[in-house]
Amino acid sequence: METPAILAFGFYFLVIVVGCFMAVGCASLVRALVGLVATLLGVAGMYLLLNAPFMAFMQILIYVGAICVLIFFALMLARADADGDEADPAPAPRTFKGILAAMLPGALLAPILMLHPTASKLIPAEVPLAELGRRLMEDYVLPFELISVVLLISMAGAVLLVWERRDK
Amino acid sequence: MKPLVLYQLASLVLLGAGLAGLVKRRTLVGMLIAVELMLNGAGLSIVAATQLTGADATLGQLATLLVMGLAAAEATVALAAIVVVFRRFGHTRTDALTTLREQQ
Repeated sequence: METPAILAFGFYFLVIVVGCFMAVGCASLVRALVGLVATLLGVAGMYLLLNAPFMAFMQILIYVGAICVLIFFALMLARADADGDEADPAPAPRTFKGILAAMLPGALLAPILMLHPTASKLIPAEVPLAELGRRLMEDYVLPFELISVVLLISMAGAVLLVWERRDK
Repeated sequence: MKPLVLYQLASLVLLGAGLAGLVKRRTLVGMLIAVELMLNGAGLSIVAATQLTGADATLGQLATLLVMGLAAAEATVALAAIVVVFRRFGHTRTDALTTLREQQ
């Protein structure tokens, strides 16, 4: 990679790592959510570096714009402030298990990735937006329709779950 | 180091952080945040693997769009479930959610 690309990659990587630590470690769930947003923005930057600007904008639109706002509404139900449910430090075995869970895939997959790197191009492929839309409408029309059905069902299910009868 | 390996290490960081959060967090909302981290790692890995090799780049981007749509659906249902749990128990701490049936 060129030097500016490496610098940009390092910056986004730093944003992702700091965001991950905030999302996992912060006692206040609001700060954890801010960490999640930082991570999502870092991943969006990596999509830009991968020459996939459409994915970057979808990442910001769907994750930051929709999912994080949804989680923020749910935060109002949890006791999310600094002395809420997550405030007292987690019991030591639990923290240890968490670190173990993080290390296990790293210890298993990182050596494989380093020792047997796949041949990769230096310049990412370029996909025109029209090509994405054409494939979505021609080759992959069934998954496209199925995902809209899944979204509709999950939306209806969410409404049904939290429905309160007025006559009760 | 090859570019693809760098991106895959970044998604490995996301996977590890998500797993750690899933084990460590004690509220349902915190666990949901961790799951979103892992799904993001999967998306980044898919896009990087198809953009930087000879594989079908369009297919990779569409697959990640599918992952994002499923993540949105999952978050919707999970949050509705959290609302229901909160109504029944008055909190969302996972260590105290041990009964399935209605309290008599």
